[in-house]
Amino acid sequence: MTTLNLNNSSDNYLNHTKGIFSWLFTLDHKRIGIMYLVCVLVAFFLGGVFAMLLRFQLLTPEGTLLTQDQYNQAFTVHGAIMVFLVIIPAIPAALGNFVLPIMLGAKDVAFPRLNLFSWWLWVFGLVFFLIALGSGGIDTGWTFYTPYSIDKASSMGGVIPALIGAFILGFSSIFTGMNFIVTIHRLRPKGMTWFKMPLFLWGTYATAVIQVLATPVVGITLLLLIVERAVGIGIFDPAMGGDPVLYQHFFWFYSHPAVYIMILPAMGIVSELISVHSHRHIFGYKFIAYSSIAIAIFGFLVWGHHMFTAGQSQLMNIIFSLITFSVSIPSAVKVFNWLATMYKGSISWNASMLYGMSFIFIFGIGGLTGLYCATLATDVHLHESYFIVAHFHYTMMGSALIGFIGGIHHWWPKMIGKMYSVFWSRVGWAMVFVGFNMCFFSQFMMGSKGMPRRYAQYAEMPQFQIYHIWSTVGSVIMALGFVLTLLYLLHSIFYGKKAPANPWGGRSLEWQCSSPPPWDNFAEQPEVGDCYDYSVLEWNEEEQGYDWKKDAVHPGE
Amino acid sequence: MMANLSSMLLSTVSTGKPENFWLSEQASTVAQSVDLTFFVITWICYFFFALIVALLVIFAVKYRRTSPDISVSGPTHNTALELTWTIIPLILVVVIFMVGMRGYLNLRVAPEGCYEVSVTGQKWTWTFDHPEYGATQVGELTVPVGKPVRLLMTSNDVIHSVWIPDFRVKMDVIPGRYTSLWFEATKVGDYLLNCTEYCGKDHSKMQAWVHVVPADEFDGDMKKLASEYVDMSAAELPAYAINRLYNRCQSCHSLDGSDSTGPTFKGLWDRVQPGSVEFTSGEKLSSLLGEATVYEQPENYIRASLLDPQKHIVKGYLGSMPSFQGQLKDKQITAIIEMFKHLRDVTDAEGNITVNKDGTPRQ
Repeated sequence: MTTLNLNNSSDNYLNHTKGIFSWLFTLDHKRIGIMYLVCVLVAFFLGGVFAMLLRFQLLTPEGTLLTQDQYNQAFTVHGAIMVFLVIIPAIPAALGNFVLPIMLGAKDVAFPRLNLFSWWLWVFGLVFFLIALGSGGIDTGWTFYTPYSIDKASSMGGVIPALIGAFILGFSSIFTGMNFIVTIHRLRPKGMTWFKMPLFLWGTYATAVIQVLATPVVGITLLLLIVERAVGIGIFDPAMGGDPVLYQHFFWFYSHPAVYIMILPAMGIVSELISVHSHRHIFGYKFIAYSSIAIAIFGFLVWGHHMFTAGQSQLMNIIFSLITFSVSIPSAVKVFNWLATMYKGSISWNASMLYGMSFIFIFGIGGLTGLYCATLATDVHLHESYFIVAHFHYTMMGSALIGFIGGIHHWWPKMIGKMYSVFWSRVGWAMVFVGFNMCFFSQFMMGSKGMPRRYAQYAEMPQFQIYHIWSTVGSVIMALGFVLTLLYLLHSIFYGKKAPANPWGGRSLEWQCSSPPPWDNFAEQPEVGDCYDYSVLEWNEEEQGYDWKKDAVHPGE
Repeated sequence: MMANLSSMLLSTVSTGKPENFWLSEQASTVAQSVDLTFFVITWICYFFFALIVALLVIFAVKYRRTSPDISVSGPTHNTALELTWTIIPLILVVVIFMVGMRGYLNLRVAPEGCYEVSVTGQKWTWTFDHPEYGATQVGELTVPVGKPVRLLMTSNDVIHSVWIPDFRVKMDVIPGRYTSLWFEATKVGDYLLNCTEYCGKDHSKMQAWVHVVPADEFDGDMKKLASEYVDMSAAELPAYAINRLYNRCQSCHSLDGSDSTGPTFKGLWDRVQPGSVEFTSGEKLSSLLGEATVYEQPENYIRASLLDPQKHIVKGYLGSMPSFQGQLKDKQITAIIEMFKHLRDVTDAEGNITVNKDGTPRQ
């Protein structure tokens, strides 16, 4: 194989077949990935609207536009949408679906029909969330804590539809995870041993394992909760001898690993971004790969740190605190390895790399503030305060979603076949970065000073207004940054320059097929070498992209 | 070694520090060790964050791409370096864990001879019982300065949580079991107590003030509180009830006529006295009043509504009211009945309370 696997014909996955049904019932992983991307972004917009309502409500101590009930609904819906419909599926289901098979040089995932079914389940999950909103709303918080969530007299009527929605979304997630595990095990190309996989695949693989192992637990828990609320079986209801704290254990047994479902694939993306846009071999490949697996394993053993003040035994608290610290080690290893990768690199200041570097900055804060939350003495004070709100937004939004957006910018030319504006993408990044930090850093300070979370008003604590104003102004800047991002990306679809096969100089296989990829990705399965060795590539001024060097040896020769 | 280190650091933290960049003022003895842990972590964070950002910015600027050509090479791994940045954080987190665990045990293990208060959380008020004095406070808690206080807590409905930020203490309040926390206030003053476990509509209003008073005043205050209504005349009772007892009702019963979890108190006596109230069973109250009936007097119906609220549930409501059996003395029940009879004298049309506890007009 001496020529590149470039497919220069205009036939590609976008125009191969036409009509809305050719999309809705497609078995093509790329189209399913794009459908997920569109859906996740729509849900992100919805969740964002609720977030803005929350921020504007808190501009004054008495609250500006919502009643207590409306505020409680708004934070519940914001959290539920962002967690279940946006962050969990964002990277694996949208970007993972598109990129994973191509990175493996495969024509598709192992089970294309199951893949389509996962997407349809996502849509049904969304439908049930909308039913929940229409049938009385939900005000339980996205965590559905008992006994409030089973108290029909006080919590709102949409709890059961929302639980069914979350249950269905759980299956969507499980099926995607199964699909990726089998795909990575069975469809790797010749020459790609486990330790030659791109790190994004390690991230998705670790994620998929958690999805398959942890999600069934929350599925069972949500079913129990539905039955408890509907007919009263007395598992969680203290009035019937049940234990409301048991629910918290069940719930966090899934939902703590779930935060690694969110962050691990983002870390995978960042490993790609930093290496490709620095044109530098990833530093310490094995440490990064192992750290993903370590996080996935430790992630299962730390759920109890959500209950340091819930009355569990002191010994349990001490053990959970100790294990929780173990997660910080592989996280720190990743950060230092990324920094070492940049050393002596050739660092492009394009949007993808800027997002990659902001991930390191923001995850630095999100990760380090995790130390306060793992430490018993300080967590007792900080638990359920705005400090926690800030901490998990720094990790789940500032890290996981920034990684997702960085990934969109990285693979956009591949997915759409067009280049976006360099200038506007930098402006959009700057607004998101500055707005995000304004919005959430002030929340650390008010939290450690005593502002509780989930408060619709704070009339007794007017000293916190200044922090809330900072936070709201930041959220507006960030929201405008997201709108700008959407606009220049949409603009590029119609007016952008045609993208070359390899605009950034990436070595993994997706950069070896044309942009956008042909219907079946590769005419024959390519062979791979070291996916972080950039020395075989050279800049082609005419194409504005990278080609193989004339004299470079291709893998498999 | 750990003990030495932390006692050395502890000595540099004086008591009762005022508010700083990160934390509010320290007003309890445990706040010191919590804040010490906080600042140990904070300085570790400052160091590592500065290191990360410095490397990030220096590399991004120094190695900024000048030409698209690929010509870089460099080490792809360095096991010694990678082990270093695995092991150093490992040592540091073990130190943080140890400091945090010591502070935590300090927080959780109450000293001998605590003054005990029973706390009940109920949507959306806090009730504090002082068993030593037989006194009850709602929405406020008076404690002596310089004496350890232990709160023994439970909930009547959903999970709540007690957080007093200036004391750095927090504990969930759970239905069907008791939890506890302790603190020793170091400064006279008023401190806010928040509910920090989301509990429904008025969660953000489920707050109470902790009044820390000098130890010698405390005893007198409590004795007065325990007996303040005992010598009151009937005319004084409505003002007492609306100020001291109504805050236990307000989350479900409005004063301005608006509907809530329970019926409004506005005009309640005008509905009860003629017996025009209708129950979920279809009965009317009027059929239960008069000679040889269940209640005979309308006052008995109100008494029963407080002590056995499930007996007759007003039509249109779910009957979620708990019993106040054992929580209200007979004279307090009388005070509530007097309050209903004279509600117009103690509230205005918008449902605002117009009198103070001693009967003087409220500004």
